[in-house]
Amino acid sequence: MPKVTFITEDKNEIVAEDAEGTLMEIARDNNVDGILGACGGCCSCGTCHVRVHPEWLEKTGRATESEQDLIDLEDGTDERSRLSCQIEMTDELDGLIVEVAPF
Amino acid sequence: MSKCPYHDPFKEKRTKGPILTTEFDGDPVAMILGLKDVRKATRDHQSFSSNAPFRVPIPREDELRSVRQFPIESDPPEHTEYRQIVEPIFNRPNHPEYQILIEDLINKLVDGCKQTDSFEAVNEFALPLQSHALTHLLNVPASEAETWLKWGVHVLHDEGKPSKGGDMEDYCKKALLRCVDWGDDNFFTILNRAKFQGRSLTEDEKLGFANLAFAGGRDTVINTICVILAHLAQNHDDLLRLRNEPSLINCAGEEFIRFATPLTHIGRKCPVDTEVHGVTVKSGHLISLAWASANFDDTIFTEPERIQIDRKPNPHVAFGNGPHNCLGAPHARLIVRTLLKVISEQTNELTLISQQPKIEKTSGYERVNGFENLYLSFHR
Repeated sequence: MPKVTFITEDKNEIVAEDAEGTLMEIARDNNVDGILGACGGCCSCGTCHVRVHPEWLEKTGRATESEQDLIDLEDGTDERSRLSCQIEMTDELDGLIVEVAPF
Repeated sequence: MSKCPYHDPFKEKRTKGPILTTEFDGDPVAMILGLKDVRKATRDHQSFSSNAPFRVPIPREDELRSVRQFPIESDPPEHTEYRQIVEPIFNRPNHPEYQILIEDLINKLVDGCKQTDSFEAVNEFALPLQSHALTHLLNVPASEAETWLKWGVHVLHDEGKPSKGGDMEDYCKKALLRCVDWGDDNFFTILNRAKFQGRSLTEDEKLGFANLAFAGGRDTVINTICVILAHLAQNHDDLLRLRNEPSLINCAGEEFIRFATPLTHIGRKCPVDTEVHGVTVKSGHLISLAWASANFDDTIFTEPERIQIDRKPNPHVAFGNGPHNCLGAPHARLIVRTLLKVISEQTNELTLISQQPKIEKTSGYERVNGFENLYLSFHR
């Protein structure tokens, strides 16, 4: 089963093994600091903002149009920004690394 | 189009410019109308300060309460430390065991309403739901809700009725003493134990936290519950869709919260003369962050006056934005989502009998916000 690593703002690495669901759900289940997912995955709150490690961008893909609309309203975003509620974990993403963005 | 009486009173005003200059309490107030401008202003506490006791709510509340509300009426960095004191309490709704309590509560209320031919949703459903849910949030005995119910829909200013603000303050003073009998982990004992900048909270600070906890999430939650019930009673297709597609419940919840926007706006004080999108706001005067306008901004939301339960993205600001983002948002979201779950799973019929919208009238706009009364039936 796939594994994902979250790097929090204070540089803690939290590794989730056997990760299933969206990255936001996985982060919440693993008590990753800085990921709230307050709206439950509706592209409404922006509290699950992550930056995908550059080596993984091709596999995760860039933000979708509706996701980007919300990211554009947030501070501190860049071309690696994604809403973790919009990334579904798959076997293909085994080993994924994301940084938790401040909010 | 929803048959709900809600509409956007700021639609034309937004086309005329980013600011509506209006007046509250005899002073000019510059209302910021567009979503992007409002969001930006929420993050600029140096230009737009919350360090304004009694004036963050508009109209001002210095005749309605004797204490400054915390953490809302303070700026970072003090605000951050004040907020951290109560954040664990207000994040309780994220825990699964808490969610079961709220679902049990809503099930009981729905079952009770099903036993009657019809019910008045504001006072017989939404108010009891809000009050009893708050006993869970504050972790105090359920019987305390009986006192809170007597304070009405808006404890500080229920239109046409005497303010219950004094009763609420007296209650909170006593609760800070009585709470020793309610266990170690209730809202009041946590305030009694809390430290701010290395010292205990003063009595006024504790009362200020309590004042916000009781006044802040009251009419707002009640109005949102009623908007949901009124809409589903008139739009059975949405009720059925939620039943068939429960994965939509979170998005539907956000959409109802956007549409209701039960807090029209909130104030920020300009510490110095400030140019705000072409309008000069003098030192000490207020701007308003007009959530109810921003949430209907048609440069952001397609067909904003139509409830679309699958709307996505939905970057509404009904809970505010930035560091002062509503502390009660997790609780409000849980109540809304659980209500949608229970209603869509358990009711075949929900019918509107009659409704009397509540109108918020000011010199600058008139806005429907909640209901004076809302009669519904689970049978007809």
